[in-house]
Amino acid sequence: MISVALLGNPNTGKTSLFNALTRSYEYVGNWAGVTVEKKVGVLLDKKGELVDLPGVYSLSPLSRDEAVTSEYLLQTAPDVVLNVVDASQIERNLHLTLQLADYGRPLVVALNMTDVAEGRGVQIDPAELARQLGAAVIPVVARTEKGCRELLREIARTGERTVPVRTAYAAPLEEAIAELEARIPADAGPGRWLALQFLEGNEAVVQRLRKVLPAAWLDAFFRSTEAAVLARTECRDLQQYIRQQRSDRIANILSACCRRVSSSSSTFSEKLDAIVTHKWLGIPIFLLFMFLTFKLTFDWFGTPISDRLDALLSGPVSDGLQRLLQQLGAADFIQAVILNGIVAGVGGVLVFVPQIFMLFLIISFIEDSGYMARIATVMDKLMEGAGLNGKTFIPMIIGFGCNVPGIMAARTIEQPRERLLTILLTPLMSCSARLSVYSLFVGVFFQSHKAIIVLSLYVLGVVVALTLAKLFSCTLARGEETIFVVELPPYRFPQWKTLARSTWEKGKGFVRKAGTFIFGGSVLIWLLSYTGFRGWNVPIDHSFMRSIGDLIAPLLQPLGFGNWQAGAALITGFLAKEVVVSTMGIIYATSGDAGLQQALGTYFSPLQAYSFMVFILLYVPCLATVGVIRKETNSAKWTWFSVGYALIVAYLLSILIYRIGLLLGFH
Amino acid sequence: MMPLTQLQRGSRGKVTDMASVSFMVRRRLSDLGVTEGSIVSVRKMLPFGGPCTIESNGQWIAIRRKEAQAVRVLAL
Repeated sequence: MISVALLGNPNTGKTSLFNALTRSYEYVGNWAGVTVEKKVGVLLDKKGELVDLPGVYSLSPLSRDEAVTSEYLLQTAPDVVLNVVDASQIERNLHLTLQLADYGRPLVVALNMTDVAEGRGVQIDPAELARQLGAAVIPVVARTEKGCRELLREIARTGERTVPVRTAYAAPLEEAIAELEARIPADAGPGRWLALQFLEGNEAVVQRLRKVLPAAWLDAFFRSTEAAVLARTECRDLQQYIRQQRSDRIANILSACCRRVSSSSSTFSEKLDAIVTHKWLGIPIFLLFMFLTFKLTFDWFGTPISDRLDALLSGPVSDGLQRLLQQLGAADFIQAVILNGIVAGVGGVLVFVPQIFMLFLIISFIEDSGYMARIATVMDKLMEGAGLNGKTFIPMIIGFGCNVPGIMAARTIEQPRERLLTILLTPLMSCSARLSVYSLFVGVFFQSHKAIIVLSLYVLGVVVALTLAKLFSCTLARGEETIFVVELPPYRFPQWKTLARSTWEKGKGFVRKAGTFIFGGSVLIWLLSYTGFRGWNVPIDHSFMRSIGDLIAPLLQPLGFGNWQAGAALITGFLAKEVVVSTMGIIYATSGDAGLQQALGTYFSPLQAYSFMVFILLYVPCLATVGVIRKETNSAKWTWFSVGYALIVAYLLSILIYRIGLLLGFH
Repeated sequence: MMPLTQLQRGSRGKVTDMASVSFMVRRRLSDLGVTEGSIVSVRKMLPFGGPCTIESNGQWIAIRRKEAQAVRVLAL
């Protein structure tokens, strides 16, 4: 097996290409920063392993996800470097290609988006480009998998590979590179590349060279080289000079292989942008879009299907299972665990699959269409007011699906302070798991206003997050100004195949969780409700579950839902928010009432239900989210902080909403 | 020479000086191919001093108003 590293600028179709070249499936989006960690897949011809790395513009990292790519090149020497080049932006893409050529491993260039380039009147001669670079160049269209077979054949070709043509720099720099290269021990890595990256100020390479060469000498060498180079040019620093030298070579390469027929910009994107990023309408349009999302999820599409699924599960499936178990002569205990534990617990969560898939479909659409970067732009001013930038809104939108990938996506944020705040606040975004709790409650209490009630919870999460961001950035995490630069990719209509796949990829986790985590949790919760201090099969009022619920019920009294059932559901909800639904399903199923919905109607009033939903929205991140916060912040202190502040805020807001609601005459 | 933000909407300018743009923004812009000598135009400015969208070489980039003000251009 050979190892192939996949590199390229952000948003050039790396992940699409990865999916086309391997059997595995990854997440594709039309915004810079979809891949935040390296991912490995086996090539279709089984001849090699493909490593998908986060997109970078150059090898000097600015953000955490970019550092993954530099570290990878420092630590491993892949057999082949596969560089995806966006033909429609070839000039900027070649900067990375030239840096990769200096790396010295065999290079294969996948010239992607040739169709877009031709639409813009740019024609590239692949054979000439290959000659200029000393690398194989294969034109592809990753989205339609055109050219992928040729690419695989080229990657698998072994033996007569040539080393790419290296860029020759002007006099004082070239000598400095040679001097440093001679001093770098052979086992430290490709000498010329390390020397160049060091002079360009690549932080990861600086750290590496400090391990093998004296730091004081390195610093002095850098300063003297920079002085010698800058004396002859007008450049600001060495980095700019090296970049300029590369630009010169790129201009030469392009004059040999690239023909511009005419330049026309895509008018469709322009027209659409005139509306969705309109001066005044931008934010209202975004809110309208979100409202339609919830309309689709609840009123028009998700809920009707959910209801049918619910009827199927609680009717024929349950009854059939019961009859089957009786025929098999299963013990009462087994019957109870299956019907009251598993069917009530897992089934209670599974009925929300249609809503959740609908939501994931729309999030995938936002990602793939190019609207994501526009949302970031429209929201920037608001976010700046809160001490963040528009880009931090992207992890938050992903957090609407699931907080875990949302927090991972925060890696694309350059400033450490903004990144920390985003990680801490993304859990306030209402994820799909919480959606199952809302679906249950709005179905019982807010029949005629489902979409607007749920939208209010989502907006509340965002408002709380922004308020806290302001508060934290004035107190806990001061310093560093915020920055905002975002690339606005051309709009494209997402392909159905890609949409379906990425919706399934996101939703799969939810279904899998129902089959494993929630399955296990349901059995455990059922056991807690079946057993008590007096032994087995006790009435629910004497069960362990009741004892646990009673412990915290008094604390919840001021919030309006001081019953033990709510207390028990909240504690188990820390495992995963859907478990709240499972727990309630099990508790009320065991207490022998009619359906879960009728039971809820007798234990909650609409105002109490709303207060409960607000508490669920904010109270603590789920177990998986806490785990990823710990991993991403690398700090126990911030992890505890994220749990602690959420509990306090949830408690205060629920009291506030409940009390004000009572004063206003709601009940 | 004038700040990029004063460039007439739709007309083009050549970037002459980016020295007073903050370091990180300058790095990102240079990654995207916007440096001294690039041809740019202003597409859109959002209200309340919000970000402005610029176009360079067929790609659109949104940056903050104050960074755009720090980019000096020569109208073409």
